[in-house]
Amino acid sequence: MESIRGKTAIVGIGEVPTGIYPERSFVEQAVAVSEAAILDAGIGKDEIDTVIPILAVANPIDNANMVCSWMVEEMGLGKTCKANFVCGSGGSSSANSLKTAMGLILTGLSKAVLVVHSDRLGTGLDMGAAIAQFAVVSMSQEYEIPYGFSQLALAGFLQQRYMYDTGTTERQIASVVETLRKWAALNPNALLRELRTAEEVLASKMISSPVRKRMMNKLADGASAFIVTSAERARELTDRPAYVLGVGSRCTNFTATEGQGDFYQNWTPAADDAYAMAGIGPADIDVAELYDAFPTFILISMELVGLCGKGEAGKFFEEGHAAPGGKLPVTTNGGMMAQGHTGAGGGVAVLVEAARQVMGKAGERQVPDVKYALDTASGGIGMDFHVGILGNEV
Amino acid sequence: MDEYTLPLPLITTLSKVFWDGCRENKLLYQHCKDCGRVIFFPKHLCPDCMGHNLEWLESQGKGRIDTFTVTYEGAPPAFMGVTPYCVAIIRMDEGYRMMSNIVECDFDELECEMPVEVAFVPVTEEITLPKFRPARG
Ligand SMILES: [Zn+2]
Repeated sequence: MESIRGKTAIVGIGEVPTGIYPERSFVEQAVAVSEAAILDAGIGKDEIDTVIPILAVANPIDNANMVCSWMVEEMGLGKTCKANFVCGSGGSSSANSLKTAMGLILTGLSKAVLVVHSDRLGTGLDMGAAIAQFAVVSMSQEYEIPYGFSQLALAGFLQQRYMYDTGTTERQIASVVETLRKWAALNPNALLRELRTAEEVLASKMISSPVRKRMMNKLADGASAFIVTSAERARELTDRPAYVLGVGSRCTNFTATEGQGDFYQNWTPAADDAYAMAGIGPADIDVAELYDAFPTFILISMELVGLCGKGEAGKFFEEGHAAPGGKLPVTTNGGMMAQGHTGAGGGVAVLVEAARQVMGKAGERQVPDVKYALDTASGGIGMDFHVGILGNEV
Repeated sequence: MDEYTLPLPLITTLSKVFWDGCRENKLLYQHCKDCGRVIFFPKHLCPDCMGHNLEWLESQGKGRIDTFTVTYEGAPPAFMGVTPYCVAIIRMDEGYRMMSNIVECDFDELECEMPVEVAFVPVTEEITLPKFRPARG
């Protein structure tokens, strides 16, 4: 089969500030980022013939309305659009919507695809409801929920075993938070922009051992969007699109009990597929937009996609190599721990950030001379492992 | 016993076999008679060979802590009144993993790879939860 390397590209991105915005409605956010992405791409909106909204979780009615072509009407696409359908795989919806868009474009079924995410986890549901929701999703009702398992407990599981296996210190893990805050300070769309030292993280109280309060992500309202089209059309629109050079993934399990085997090792074959398609290796990556949720997720995936040696990611962060000015900037939007956790939008935000870095539009936090950006995404409790590589030339 | 207010397991025709076993202090898991695969959580067909020729076997109830966490805050709403508690993944000697709580243990002494054994805790007339404690034997 002919390679699909560089045959499609992200040509436009849109994002609103992530945070607590009780006055900003779900659809207002969605329209704002769709408009921004269309204007950023410089594409006529009548070229958008497929809309893929990403699964929203705060309000099931909003989500159901996105299923029913809400955005097609709001954006006035009704005369030219051919299809609207929601893509949902939790945190990996970003990668799966991109792959779906690529497939539609490569087969000629679609000319340009608008992927749009909006959710209101900051104000769209109350805190009790938020905790209740995350307490039951992606878990076995028969064999896990009776023991008080939670997404937070999962973060505890991962960090506990990772520290045991690698000897990574709590301070090294706290330095991930310190690093992400440094990036967020440079990101006008981030929620938590004040700096936080590793010592301050370590001084915060234990929530679900060994995870401390300041190692947790923060639920927020937010939205982002991107537009995918063919490489030929991309070249007409801009001299600096973000070409999709490689994608790779594995989907492995439903529950944390199953996943706690060696399933996280699947980051490696997913990355290998992406590198092979792109024709590059980990040493070529200029910036890594790693999906986070919790600090350990970044450390585990960073090692397994080959960006540093086994057990060395914590030291890498502690020494400042992932921070602004470091040798391999990581998660330059601040991730869910600092930009804010908008549900499936956490994955969309890092993909949009990867495109932004490749397109040279990252402002104060722009990494110099980005040729290749790697991004990751994962849904559920670590049910799948997605790696993408974007680049500014084919 | 006092009224039990925490979430109870979902009972289906499949999970009923497991939970009926627990009530009799038997920890059951499945085994595929076609390919030999050890199966847990219980399944309707073998995840290796898709065979339906599954049998239930009784575990010796011993294993090691693969990983664990002690939840102090941010517990699911129903569990907020019982913090701190320990949730763990246990690697059973028979070669499967299960989730449970670690009890009868000073939380400061917990560590990965610690040997543990099942401790059946009846919580209602119908349901007995298989929890784990540090191995004594
Ligand atoms: Zn079998």
